[in-house]
Amino acid sequence: MSMSRATRYARYRQDDKLEISLFPFLSIFLCVMGVLSFINVLSSYSAPQKIELSAQLETGYKIAYQIFSLPDGIITVPPIKNLHKLQAVVNEDDKAVIDVILQQREQLIEKLENHTGSIMNAAVEPDVDDILDTVRDIRTLNEIALKANYLYEEFILFGIYPNGSQAYQKIRDVMTLTPDSVAISIGLEPLDSNWTLSLKKKGQSSK
Amino acid sequence: MKNLISLDSLTDIVSNSVGILIIFAVINLIHDDNKTYQLEIPLEHATDLSPAFFISKNDRVLALDTDTLFANAALQATSGGATNKRLFNLEYSGLLGQIDDEKGISFFARDTSEWPEFAELEKRNSDLRKKLDKLDPKKQFAYFFVYDNTEDGSSSGSGFEAFRKAREYLKRHSIKTGWQPVNSDSPANICDKSFSRRCVYLPSYLGTGNINSGNTNTTDNGEKR
Repeated sequence: MSMSRATRYARYRQDDKLEISLFPFLSIFLCVMGVLSFINVLSSYSAPQKIELSAQLETGYKIAYQIFSLPDGIITVPPIKNLHKLQAVVNEDDKAVIDVILQQREQLIEKLENHTGSIMNAAVEPDVDDILDTVRDIRTLNEIALKANYLYEEFILFGIYPNGSQAYQKIRDVMTLTPDSVAISIGLEPLDSNWTLSLKKKGQSSK
Repeated sequence: MKNLISLDSLTDIVSNSVGILIIFAVINLIHDDNKTYQLEIPLEHATDLSPAFFISKNDRVLALDTDTLFANAALQATSGGATNKRLFNLEYSGLLGQIDDEKGISFFARDTSEWPEFAELEKRNSDLRKKLDKLDPKKQFAYFFVYDNTEDGSSSGSGFEAFRKAREYLKRHSIKTGWQPVNSDSPANICDKSFSRRCVYLPSYLGTGNINSGNTNTTDNGEKR
């Protein structure tokens, strides 16, 4: 009845088979789960939300010229969408005028799109001449559209960020100086600092 | 004892949860990058309604009783306390006043501790609610001077949230609202239209309770702008 050495060894190995403890895996998984949950919750609360301003009503032919007022100045996002359509229905002289405005606006959008770093750092101090030019361009486009009996009207929407009232007030003050601003509709909304402007649609429309 | 508790199934569940969370995180990341919120903003429009003024600062809202304020300011002006753009006490919830030829009366809000907090809007019979309820939607609209300075760590202006809540409350009660941002350098000011074109206070937010039933670009007379 005596067992051979090999048989004994085999029995010994079978009884004492290698068992992997799952506890370290479990602890790592739980840690990862906790971290991921935290990141998910945090991102849903604090992630910057991309926003685009539009008029509450009559969005069909009313086109927003967005101006974001920040502590360091303003970011202007002029509308390009629909300008090509307007250009198609007006006379040659007006076409040339729209072309000039369109080119300026496309350059402005391109500059914003090529801005490295956060778009919110692209704010510039509002310049009086630039404000007057902007208001004049909006009036010109609205008048051209009216003349061509085409449904198109631009208006200005201000997004006011925390500590951004100074630039806004400067623009409104300058606008009181020019009769061009009289017929231009204006809207404004307070924005939180974690709301960032979206250029995506503009970029697509300009291509 | 060693084999009493099996961790197999628990590890299975936890690993699956981790996988799902990773998927959520990736979806969140892709979704947030592409999503753009459309913020619909009403336009300022002409009105025959008269403005009732409010100042919103440090999550508090102060209703301005213009009769009392103008009477107090006139008293200071006649006694010489308001000359040379000097700041004077308006004896009104810690407000200081300044009289200026261009800006009319400016209101400097330094101490807001006496002002009602916007959270009082939730409480029935609160003073703030009573003041807002007093507004007649057929004769008045609410105009807010909203402070844009930030408290430590806040992503919002100190008066933004109070203004949003008050606006929402007034909208439910069919009262129009308008606003402008102010700060300590350019405080709230009330002046007559004859002073400057900046002395115009217009409503923008409709008080219909149903934003789709109105037309932001018509005057209260129905006249198209």
